[in-house]
Amino acid sequence: MSRFSGALQLTDLDDFITPSQECIKPVTIDKTKSKTGSKITVQADGYYEESESGKQKLQKVEITLQDCLACSGCITSAEGVLITQQSQEELLKVLRENERLKASGDSDKVRTIVFTIAVQPLISLAHRFELGVEEAARHLSGYLRQLGADYVLSTKIADDLALLECRQEFVERYRDNADLSMLSSSCPGWVCYAEKTHGNFILPHIATTRSPQQIMGVLVKQRLAEKLGVSGSRIYHVTVMPCYDKKLEASREDFYSEVNSSRDVDCVITSIEVEQMLQTEEQTLQQFAPSDMDWPWTDQPPEAMVWAHESTMSGGYAEHIYKYAARELFNEETPNELQFKALRNRDFSEISLEKDGKIVLKFAIANGFRNIQNLMQKLKRGKGPGYHFVEVMACPSGCINGGAQVRPTTGQHVRELTQQLEELYKQLPRSNPDNAHTKHIYTDFLDGTQTDKSQSLLHTSYHAVEKLNTALNIKW
Amino acid sequence: MGRLILEHTLQGHKGRIWGVAWHPKGNSFASCGEDKAIRIWSLSGNTWTTKTILSDGHKRTIREVRWSPCGEYLASASFDATTAIWSKHECTATLEGHENEVKSVSWSRSGGLLATCSRDKSVWIWEVAGDDEFECAAVLNAHSQDVKRVVWHPTKEILASASYDNTIKMYAESALDSDWDCTATLSSHTSTVWSIDFDADGERLVSCSDDATLKIWRAYHPGNEAGIATPDKTTVWKCVCTLSGLHTRAIYDVSWCKLTGLIASACGDDAIRIFKESSDSKRDAPSFELLTSEESAHEQDVNAVEWNPVNVGQLISCSDDGTIKIWKLQE
Amino acid sequence: MLSYIKRKLSESDSGNSNSNSNSTPAAELVRKTSQMSLDNGAIVYGEDALLHELGYRSATDLQETIYDLLRTIRDPEKPCTLEDLNVIYEDGIFVMQPTRSNVSVVRIEFNPTVPHCSLATLIGLCIRVKVERGLPHNIKLDIYIKKGAHQTEEEINKQINDKERIAAAMENPNLRELVENCIKDEE
Repeated sequence: MSRFSGALQLTDLDDFITPSQECIKPVTIDKTKSKTGSKITVQADGYYEESESGKQKLQKVEITLQDCLACSGCITSAEGVLITQQSQEELLKVLRENERLKASGDSDKVRTIVFTIAVQPLISLAHRFELGVEEAARHLSGYLRQLGADYVLSTKIADDLALLECRQEFVERYRDNADLSMLSSSCPGWVCYAEKTHGNFILPHIATTRSPQQIMGVLVKQRLAEKLGVSGSRIYHVTVMPCYDKKLEASREDFYSEVNSSRDVDCVITSIEVEQMLQTEEQTLQQFAPSDMDWPWTDQPPEAMVWAHESTMSGGYAEHIYKYAARELFNEETPNELQFKALRNRDFSEISLEKDGKIVLKFAIANGFRNIQNLMQKLKRGKGPGYHFVEVMACPSGCINGGAQVRPTTGQHVRELTQQLEELYKQLPRSNPDNAHTKHIYTDFLDGTQTDKSQSLLHTSYHAVEKLNTALNIKW
Repeated sequence: MGRLILEHTLQGHKGRIWGVAWHPKGNSFASCGEDKAIRIWSLSGNTWTTKTILSDGHKRTIREVRWSPCGEYLASASFDATTAIWSKHECTATLEGHENEVKSVSWSRSGGLLATCSRDKSVWIWEVAGDDEFECAAVLNAHSQDVKRVVWHPTKEILASASYDNTIKMYAESALDSDWDCTATLSSHTSTVWSIDFDADGERLVSCSDDATLKIWRAYHPGNEAGIATPDKTTVWKCVCTLSGLHTRAIYDVSWCKLTGLIASACGDDAIRIFKESSDSKRDAPSFELLTSEESAHEQDVNAVEWNPVNVGQLISCSDDGTIKIWKLQE
Repeated sequence: MLSYIKRKLSESDSGNSNSNSNSTPAAELVRKTSQMSLDNGAIVYGEDALLHELGYRSATDLQETIYDLLRTIRDPEKPCTLEDLNVIYEDGIFVMQPTRSNVSVVRIEFNPTVPHCSLATLIGLCIRVKVERGLPHNIKLDIYIKKGAHQTEEEINKQINDKERIAAAMENPNLRELVENCIKDEE
């Protein structure tokens, strides 16, 4: 069973093939000129090219995740590629190597290990090990430190910044052209699907605001690196996320920093992988001494590390932006708890604001692949309600039910589990992104709000994937 | 022994004909094929004639056509990756979403749901939301390969799909969260399952395959008398009979007559064969006998067969040879 | 007139599990003439009413006719024919027992140049289209990769014998153009 979201499981997006078998990426081979054609022979250890000058072993072609993302073939040969580049094995290998370097006193090569943990995996693991969420965070922090982490961070600061940037982007777009729908951008499954199948039709609609994972990437590799006085490339940044799709996001070319010559997020592991790591060691989370998470962003840390953002469990985009836009654009106060009206199924809901008998704001939340389809149909036909903003997540119920969250125990239905996780989420303190911490990051790191630096570090761009039309490559 | 009497041979389509479908009233039918057109035929006097040609709906081969249970709408599945809905000879909706060839389409008993499947390995369920509105209710990725056929249960909202991955899968809506889930996987065929059909009450299913066999499957519900275990309190489907050695090439279609209980098969060896359940057939180990085999039913592969839903013993078939034939079974 | 061409005698009929078909009237009428054992590659040819009816002198005649169609197919990548590359060869073409409806059945085996050849499905496609178009009569074709000659032999065999996949592939303008170029006769 794939742990990618449904959006990526559709054809050619998740094929469970090894790159060597069906990968269609053209490779360049250095050719030495020879008059006759050469012959390729197969031996147990590889392929050999026979020429006048004798046998020469052919080089194996390495296909990277970046290659996969840039290609219109199967996205994911990636599953195989991911396993080698972003797996718990790879993570443990890096950590072991780092410990070895530390022990050998080779301090020039030792890397600073930073973990960032998103809220949804914390809830998933808290539920799995029957702990409170903040408590689970502290135990997990203890476990990761024991593995070799130097810093263990929560995503709170990035979650806050993402909302601030996204709401600002919305208000600007609305003022510019209120007829253009803006679609959220924090779900990499949805973004990847949009790029591969709907290309230039849909991309202008997608918010340019980076996801919290990638904002954390920037903060860790630039802000934290600066503070520690090390180069970004000397930090190994691992995130713990609720879905596999996040691995694809971290691998995007856009999030590779030339300055640092490293990726903003080096490795993504998921809730289920953390559970597996603990299982392999035959440990539970409780067995690790709790330790506080770190807060390197401001002098005064917030009163808690794990926060909810609004009431939906995917970052709170639709709710927060709706409230902000109502106030900012129409001077309307909205209730703290917004009542979204469920449409045909509970994963598609909408809300609207009327002013002088006219609908001025219409927002929707569309979760799961089927509703991405329904949304696409609505957008394509130009029929039905025009939404000003849609929060789009590839997993049904949103990120709390991410594809790589800990699976339900036998006999338990996913829906039941999701409801229990929702209960845990509701108990978390609710973050207000307008706070001293975000203000500090803007003034002290980003040269203020709406600056070139905030634009370049907190936003990104999308690229339609051209369909390859070389017949040799067509899968039929 | 029975005999298939050829009543009519109809020509009209250019090239291979992939599908034929009786109107629920049984007095007309639709056909489709590689000429990208749908023809609707009805009987005037003693001859079947094309009453309407629906073209311009699809850019590539039309693989299958199906009437809604009310007979008002026709759905067509095409290699152009779309499914079209036709009403009174007009295309009223085009369902997009599949990545490539749509292979099959099926209306639920109530007409409120539509299922489609594709080479993209997915099965989609669409809710009829209004006159020409269809909302995607589920995208099911249970199969690991090309999905060849979708067929709804004759009485319940249960969907069955047959695939190139050699399996058949069943789907039902979960009462808990109204999401569609795969509830059963039927494995026994050793190659592509081309088609499936339920019997009249939906307790049994017949499947046909590239492995040149027909298989009969029976539903065992929780608490069944046969004592078949039903894990998680879900119905289990077991293969209770395999008919092998009679077909010599891939079997492309199968139709289980809701009126007579006879099974007709369409085979790549150009034959149409009719099977009848034996009089001494047992519930949990049924036996079927070959009633008749029309060896040269068509000049090339027979692609589809369907029993007339009203007119007992009338059978329609179509073939790569570009003809549609109407047969009458004489027992 | 019986014209036997014996490469190796074998009475076995292991290539066909439906041995009871011998007793059906159609089969009796035609008299099964060519048999093949997949195990040892032995072929026996004999008289064949169906072949004569179609205008062939013998099974070898049909075999040669098909080979003539295939040998000029060009490799999709290299400027060579399938014959040059030994992808197809005359004794990879087997005339099988006809169907009970009396249609010729031919099995074609080909040998991809390398065991990971990504174009094997495309070559299968070219072979099928060329033969189906080139013969003036109906024929049932089974196309297979030479046993052990490809890493994903079974997958490819399944795909190139799925008529629905083939029909759809030939409606893809890019694929179609490629196939047409590979199979068009030399000017």
